[in-house]
Amino acid sequence: MRPQSWTLVPLAGGANVQDLARLADLADLARPARPAKIWPVADRAAACVAALPSMTVIDGGAALAMRSLVKVFDGLVAVDGVDLDVPAGSFFGLLGPNGAGKTTSLSMAVGLLRPTRGRAFVLGHDVWADPVQAKRLLGVLPDGMRMFDRLTGPELLGYQGLLRGMPAGVIDQRAAELLDVFGLADAGRTLVVDYSAGMKKKIGLACALLHAPRVLVLDEPFEAVDPLSAATIRDILSRYVAGGGTVIFSSHVLELVERLCTHVAILADGTIKAVGTLDEVRGGRGLEDVFVATVGGRVATGEELSWL
Amino acid sequence: MAVTATAPVRTRYFVRLKLRLLRNGLRGPGTRVFGFVLGLVFGFWMAAAGFLWFLLAGLEPRADIGLVTVVFTGSAIVLGWVLLPLLFFGVDETLDPARFALLPLPRRTLARGMLAAAAVGIPGVATAVALAGAVVAAGTRGGVPGAAVGLAGAVLTLLLCVAASRALTSAFAALLRSRRARDLTALLLAVVAASVGPIQLFANSLAVHASLAPVLRAARVLAWTPLGAGFAAPYDIVAHRPLLAAARLAIVAACVAGALWWWSHTLESAMLGASSGGRPGRGPARGGAVDALVPRPLRNARADTFLGILARELRYWSRDPRRRAGLISAVVAGIIVPIALRVAGGTHGARLPLPFAVAFPALIGAVLVANQFGYDGTAYSMHLLTAVRGRTELRARATALAVILLPFLVVVAVVVAVLTHDPAGIAPALGTIAGVFGTVLGVESVLSIFVAYPMPESRNVFSVNTGTGGAKAFVAMAGVLMAAALAAPVLVVAGLLHGLLAPLVIPLGIGYGLAALLVGTYIGGDALERRGPELLVSVTPRR
Repeated sequence: MRPQSWTLVPLAGGANVQDLARLADLADLARPARPAKIWPVADRAAACVAALPSMTVIDGGAALAMRSLVKVFDGLVAVDGVDLDVPAGSFFGLLGPNGAGKTTSLSMAVGLLRPTRGRAFVLGHDVWADPVQAKRLLGVLPDGMRMFDRLTGPELLGYQGLLRGMPAGVIDQRAAELLDVFGLADAGRTLVVDYSAGMKKKIGLACALLHAPRVLVLDEPFEAVDPLSAATIRDILSRYVAGGGTVIFSSHVLELVERLCTHVAILADGTIKAVGTLDEVRGGRGLEDVFVATVGGRVATGEELSWL
Repeated sequence: MAVTATAPVRTRYFVRLKLRLLRNGLRGPGTRVFGFVLGLVFGFWMAAAGFLWFLLAGLEPRADIGLVTVVFTGSAIVLGWVLLPLLFFGVDETLDPARFALLPLPRRTLARGMLAAAAVGIPGVATAVALAGAVVAAGTRGGVPGAAVGLAGAVLTLLLCVAASRALTSAFAALLRSRRARDLTALLLAVVAASVGPIQLFANSLAVHASLAPVLRAARVLAWTPLGAGFAAPYDIVAHRPLLAAARLAIVAACVAGALWWWSHTLESAMLGASSGGRPGRGPARGGAVDALVPRPLRNARADTFLGILARELRYWSRDPRRRAGLISAVVAGIIVPIALRVAGGTHGARLPLPFAVAFPALIGAVLVANQFGYDGTAYSMHLLTAVRGRTELRARATALAVILLPFLVVVAVVVAVLTHDPAGIAPALGTIAGVFGTVLGVESVLSIFVAYPMPESRNVFSVNTGTGGAKAFVAMAGVLMAAALAAPVLVVAGLLHGLLAPLVIPLGIGYGLAALLVGTYIGGDALERRGPELLVSVTPRR
């Protein structure tokens, strides 16, 4: 199935004022749909890259844009031409089964993994051609990456701030606030390596937020997090989006995505299968039904595993 | 619900698993294959040389000389198996015991399997081939009984090598893990290191007298220790003293049994998986986040990225058990080597000049930082995400190691100079240290970006991955040799300037070292910014 290109459709009923205001901002983003011809991956990528203007700043409206991202590992295609625009000010959920290429796509979009082909932009700055500018605007919580976990929480935040080149006074003040809000202030001199899984996610998120980025990219922020911590994270992210930030996160938890997100994309087999506002993608059904139908899951009939 | 009956797990399954893992490890990037091939070539060469050496020594018509040669060489091999992993190479933990924790395996089966798997590998096979030379020689001299005893001795010695190296590394790893014991361990290692001096003096005096008698006496003593007993046994057969041979074999066997018993008991704790070091500190942290990170003496410095990385590196050299173990090994070797080098030349005045002797501990720094990015593993992603400038990063890392090691190197130089009665050599020695150490840091700033490899997440800080530990040692050695070659001008100058000109070596060495460091971090910084994502991939453990 060919990835559906992202076109903005007027929001269905239930759109609030905020959504409409965002719509006005994003009006220039609407592009004509590309021809429905199915191109081989290489051609598609080449054509898309060739069509880009040579300057670094494009697509002023999208907070994060992926253009024909392709990743091939040892001849195995993990991501097969992902095109995605994350509108500025959106709370964007990236869904997909295990091995769909979520982490790979996000890693390429934030500059951790070099794409085989394609480009990525943060507020118009090319992540791979102009990394310093792009990364200044980005806050990232990667999945499967360790932190410098033999530091304590405060030390880790101090380190993150110094790496970002922030003044010491600002670092101290923000670190104290973040530790307080995330409930990590009591952990004191405990090393991050001794934190629980939920605490690790929270300190990782605090690191991503410290320099007040414009765009947050979170890979599985709710994985292994207890309901209490999840609620904290949810509140902080909602407040961040309300304040004008953009969040894109990957998740398996469909209820959470349904509750939080303004926009959703479903990724499977390395391509985008569905994308749009939450209501567009749902089309009046539940998100889980749409997800299973789109991804093509298998339902147990009761015949198998009879020996259990 | 039914549980299928299972066949008993055989040792050869472990060996097959290890071989499969070795083969899969080769399906990686080209550098890994190259490293493995390099290790293979070196192992083959060592095996062939060892085989011939033992064969020729065993066939030596004068039994005394043969005994001395065989026993000393054999003891050196056993000692090498036991000490080298501790000091430099680490043990190959391709089969991590923790992976077997959930399988219903009796400890005996597991221990036997792990041991067999540990013997399968380049060092194990090379040693086996070399020892075969001794067996052939024993057979030639002693007929069938000689061959039988030779074979028993060789097999037991090989077992001893594998079992003792496992037992000792896991013992030290356990000691280094707990914070209270680590200072004690460091002290212990330092005492061992310092005791090498007197042993050297003793061996030296033997060599000076140039007669066989004392050497033979030493060999006869060694022949009653597990180190050399396995090699001496065939000589008893030739001399028609089968009981003596049996006694010697029993000594080795008892030692093997002891090591195995101890090691199989530590296996259980190793199976419990990775633990973090020490108890968590409680109580609220005081002061700001930046002050928490930066050590007190540096708090007045300008708070920027350089200071951040410097502070974090300093914390990591003391907090990361792997780095700590490396540092302790380097310190121990840094004490042993110059003393040994200075004493080895004897009292004839032909001994190695002080600057050359102290250049070696400075070069050992290269072993420490050859995989500086591998220590951090995927945590390096944090630097990548914040777009840290490559030059800043490399200079901060180099500064951190210099802050830790330079004072130690200076102390070693002064102490060795005083002990070996060469106070005039102190100035050139200090200049040499500055020049060589700077060059080492400069070389590794470039090299470490290209040869980084992931560290296993194992409890044993001495473990290395993928069965190519030998090849990784080559990478470290390559760094040492490159740095030595590039620092040659400093050594030449230190060797040439005498008397009143000698103090000139200090500014020259400092200048040369700084220049090498700046050039290295300049080149490496660009490479790091270009190759950041590739570096992250190369330090990510494969799952």
